[in-house]
Amino acid sequence: MTAAPALAAALAAAALLLPLPWLAIAPNRLLPGEAVTAVSALGWLVLPPCLLFGVAALRRVPPLAAAAAAMAAVLLLLVLTGLAASQRLQDLSPAARAGLGIGLWLALVSGLLLAALRLADATLRDRLLLAFVMLATLAAAAAAGAFDGLSLAVEYRNRAEAVKAALLRHLALAASALILALVVAAPLAWAGFRRPRLAGPVGAAFAGMQVVPGLALFALLIPLLSALLHALPVLREFGLAAIGAAPAVIATAAYLTLPLWRGLSAGLAAADPAAVAAAQAIGMGEARITREVRLPLALPVFAAGLRVALVQAIGLVTLGGLVGAGGLGALVFEGLAQFATDLMLLGAIPIVLLALVADALARMAETRLAVPA
Amino acid sequence: MRGLPPLLLALLLALLAAPAGARLLSQALGATAEPFPADRLIGLAVTHAGLSLAGVLPAALLGIGLGIAVTRGAGQGLRPAADALAAAAQAVPPVVVVALAVPAFGFGLWPTAFALLLYGLMPVLRATVAGLESVPPDARAAAIAIGLPPARVLAEVEWPLAWPVVLDGLRVALVLGIATAAVGALAGATTLGTPIVLGLQNQNQVLVVQGAAATAALAFAAEGLLLAVAGRRAAA
Repeated sequence: MTAAPALAAALAAAALLLPLPWLAIAPNRLLPGEAVTAVSALGWLVLPPCLLFGVAALRRVPPLAAAAAAMAAVLLLLVLTGLAASQRLQDLSPAARAGLGIGLWLALVSGLLLAALRLADATLRDRLLLAFVMLATLAAAAAAGAFDGLSLAVEYRNRAEAVKAALLRHLALAASALILALVVAAPLAWAGFRRPRLAGPVGAAFAGMQVVPGLALFALLIPLLSALLHALPVLREFGLAAIGAAPAVIATAAYLTLPLWRGLSAGLAAADPAAVAAAQAIGMGEARITREVRLPLALPVFAAGLRVALVQAIGLVTLGGLVGAGGLGALVFEGLAQFATDLMLLGAIPIVLLALVADALARMAETRLAVPA
Repeated sequence: MRGLPPLLLALLLALLAAPAGARLLSQALGATAEPFPADRLIGLAVTHAGLSLAGVLPAALLGIGLGIAVTRGAGQGLRPAADALAAAAQAVPPVVVVALAVPAFGFGLWPTAFALLLYGLMPVLRATVAGLESVPPDARAAAIAIGLPPARVLAEVEWPLAWPVVLDGLRVALVLGIATAAVGALAGATTLGTPIVLGLQNQNQVLVVQGAAATAALAFAAEGLLLAVAGRRAAA
C-alpha cells in the first residue's frame, strides 16, 4: 500500500463508518434536515463499499482493477443511498426532501480521488474507457429511478430546462471572454516579441490585473460601464449595456490576458534561433518565417497557456451571475439568496465538472500537439 | 523597489473608497445615494484583513510543513495526492468553493474559513515543493558531505535557497485570501464584500464603488507589502 491511495481509502471508509451526517431528512426544500448517519441509513450495506475501497488501495491489485473497484464502490454508494432515501421519504409528505450530508460528499470525493490516484500511470484510452463505463452506469441508474428520492435529483427534475439553459449560457460567456482576451493579448504579445522593451510594462499590467479581487472587478464594471455609456450613448447601439453579459465577459477576459499573453510570448520565443537562421539562409522572407517556422514551433507552448485560460474562464464566469449575465453562477447565487442548498449545488457541481473536463480535454490536445507530426 | 507601484495603487483606491472620493464619483455618475460612512468601512476593512490573515496564516504553515514532508523520504508517497488536490483547487475559483461549503457548514463565517484554508494551503504547498526542488543538487550534496545531519541540511542549506519561492507562494495565498474573504460576503461573512453585495442588490452604485475600491485597495496593499519584504531580503 502506498501512502496516498491508502489515505484516500481510509478517508472514504471513515466517512462511512464515523457518525457523520449522511442524509438529511427535511420537511421541505428550504428547512435544514434531521441528520441520519451512514450506518443507520444503509445498515450492514456500508460494508461492501468499505471492502471495495480497501481492495482499491492494495498495491498488489493491478491499477486498472483497483480504479474500477473504487468507482464501483462510489456507484454502489450512490444507488444504495438513493434507495434508502426513497424508503425514508415513503411515509412523509410529498414536499419532504432527503438532502446529502457531509459524510456522503467526503466518501464520494475521496473515492474518486482514490480512483484517480490509481489511474495516474494508466493510458488515456483506459482512463476514458473507465470514465465512460462509470457515466453510462450512472445514467442507467438515474433512468431506472435509483436517485429519485435524493433532494438534488428532485430539484433537477423541477429545474431541468433552467439548468440546461444556464449551462449553455455559461459556456457561451466563457468562450466570449476567451476570444476577447485573445484579441487583446495576441497583438501585445507580438509587439512585445518585436520590441522587447514593451514586454516588461505589458506583463506588469496583466499581472497587476490578477491582484484585483474578482468580486470587486465584476461589481466595479457596472458603474464604470454606465459612466461610459452616459458619456458615449452611441455605444448602446452596439448592444453594450452596464449590466448583463458585457461586464461579465470584460471582467473574465481581464483575468485571462495574463496566461494567454504568457503562453503566446513564450511560444514566440520558443523558435530555435538556428531554425530561424536556417529559414533565412534558404531565402525565406520574414512573413514566411513567421508562418512556417515560428507559429508551428510556438503552438505546443501556447497550448499550455490556452488550457489555463480555458479552465479559469469556466470558473470566473460564475461571478457573472451577480451582474445579471446569467449562466450557472446565477443558479448558485439564487440558491444562496434563498438558502436553497440544492439549487446552489445544481449550479456549483456542473461548474466543477466543466472545469475538470475542459482541463482533461485540453491536456489530451496538448499531448497530441507535443508529438512531432 | 517592486512593492511601490502596488502600494501607490492601494492608496489611490483607498481615496476612491473614502466617502469624499465616492461622493465625487457618484456626482459624476449622476447617482444620489449617500456614501457608506468611513468608520464603518474601516471597521469592515479591519475584519476583512483579520479574517484573511487568520485563515491564510495557519494554512500557510500547514502548507510549508506538508511541502517539506512530501519532499522527504517518508512522505513522498503523499506527493501524487498533494499534486492532484493542488490542480483541482486551481481549476475551481473561490466563489464555487464557498458555495460548495455552505451545505456542509451553513451560512456565516465557516464556509469562508474553509475556503480560506484551502486557498491558503495550496499555493504555499506548491511553492514550498517547487522551492525545495529548485535547490541545486550540488549544494545539498556538499552539505551532506561535510557531515551535516538532515535537519541542518534543511535549515541551513535548502530552506534559505527555497525561501524566495516560498515567499512568492505566500504572497499569492494572501492576495487570493483577500479575494476569497470578499466573496465570503455572499455566504454571510461580514467583510468588505458586504457593501458590494448590498449595493448590487439595491442598485446602489456608490456602495458598489466603495466596497470594490476598498477590497482592491486591501489586495494591492498586501501585494505591495509582501513584494517590499521580498525586495529587502533580496537586497540584504
